[in-house]
Amino acid sequence: MNKGLVSGLVLLILGLICGLLLAVVNHFTAPKILEEENKIKFAALAEFYNLDNYDLSEVEGSGAIGVIYVLKEKGTDNILSLVYTVSATGYSDSQDVVMLIAVNNDLSVEGYKVVAHKESSGFGADIVENDFKVTMITDLSEFDSVSDVTVTSNAIYECFNQVGLRAAVDFGGGL
Amino acid sequence: MDQKANFLKGLFKENPLFVALLGLCPSLAVTTSLENAIGMTMGVFFVLVLSNLIISLIMSNKFLSPLVKPVRIPVYIVVIATLVTIVEMVMNAFLIDLYLSLGVFIPLIVVNCIILGRAEAFASENKPIDSLIDGIGMAIGYGLAIMIISIFREFLGKGTITIWQSLQIDLVFIFDFLKIEPIAMFVQPVGAFLSFGLILAIITAIVNNVSQTNKKGA
Repeated sequence: MNKGLVSGLVLLILGLICGLLLAVVNHFTAPKILEEENKIKFAALAEFYNLDNYDLSEVEGSGAIGVIYVLKEKGTDNILSLVYTVSATGYSDSQDVVMLIAVNNDLSVEGYKVVAHKESSGFGADIVENDFKVTMITDLSEFDSVSDVTVTSNAIYECFNQVGLRAAVDFGGGL
Repeated sequence: MDQKANFLKGLFKENPLFVALLGLCPSLAVTTSLENAIGMTMGVFFVLVLSNLIISLIMSNKFLSPLVKPVRIPVYIVVIATLVTIVEMVMNAFLIDLYLSLGVFIPLIVVNCIILGRAEAFASENKPIDSLIDGIGMAIGYGLAIMIISIFREFLGKGTITIWQSLQIDLVFIFDFLKIEPIAMFVQPVGAFLSFGLILAIITAIVNNVSQTNKKGA
């Protein structure tokens, strides 16, 4: 048999073994990773609102918008706030910048937090703590990007922009 | 070469960072705190030791060796990438703060010259047990080197030494005594190069001094 073909087959078999091994490791680590991500998200939600005062439910978003946390007035269908999980591509190819953006029903921004990212250490990572000066989700004219950290700034701007595009519709009954 | 010399060469004579100057980019990037350096060392140790062992097992097998030789570099990359992905998944699941802190430099271990270099230069031509010891020595040598750089940088840049999470040695009083602030530049990228250059100069001076003394003695 052709030697090159045999070598290719060896590489293919090695790849399959490695893939199987990774699947096994993923089986054990994936639930823990999800649990850690949820822990960070709920800790972040609690930074914006006292969750005891609301009826909390979750709705699956679309496109860049992931889970939307719906905070309703206790015992009613009146939506008081929406907390969007939104992502945009930053510096890292393997992990998007994932943000939680809390928007009140008057479209004011209650708060925001980067809950997952893999931006480079130093400036790229430090920027996630920055105050981007967004007070109304439909008005990003005052958005304060950070010079020299353009890619991460753009990703965060895109997160706000995506939420801004749909927040009014969601509060207007589109959810 | 006996096993002791095989182990020790990674620590001193062939230290991957201070002698071979390999894998500098991630090493300088993550050395902003000792905790980061310890985390990176754990990752590199796991990958380097196991990749050396696996590659040596494959290449020393009389049946597999001739089949793998033409595609050995892709084989090394598949093995190393698998091990790095395991490290990444485990860190993401169980050491989330460290995972976020090390960021993109965990997957970049795949292309770390030290690991691929040891696979090609040593593991592919030596017995599994020798390769295992070589991997352990090199990984510890690498770890010690980045820990030295990180202690130097974190102390001068922040006045602290973070061993693990909240376990931190606060040395700000030294700066208070000297009536100066910690020099934040040392935890910035420019500080990485300065620190590395300074430490390398000190080590080179010591090595030169020792070798001259030995020559005179002889």
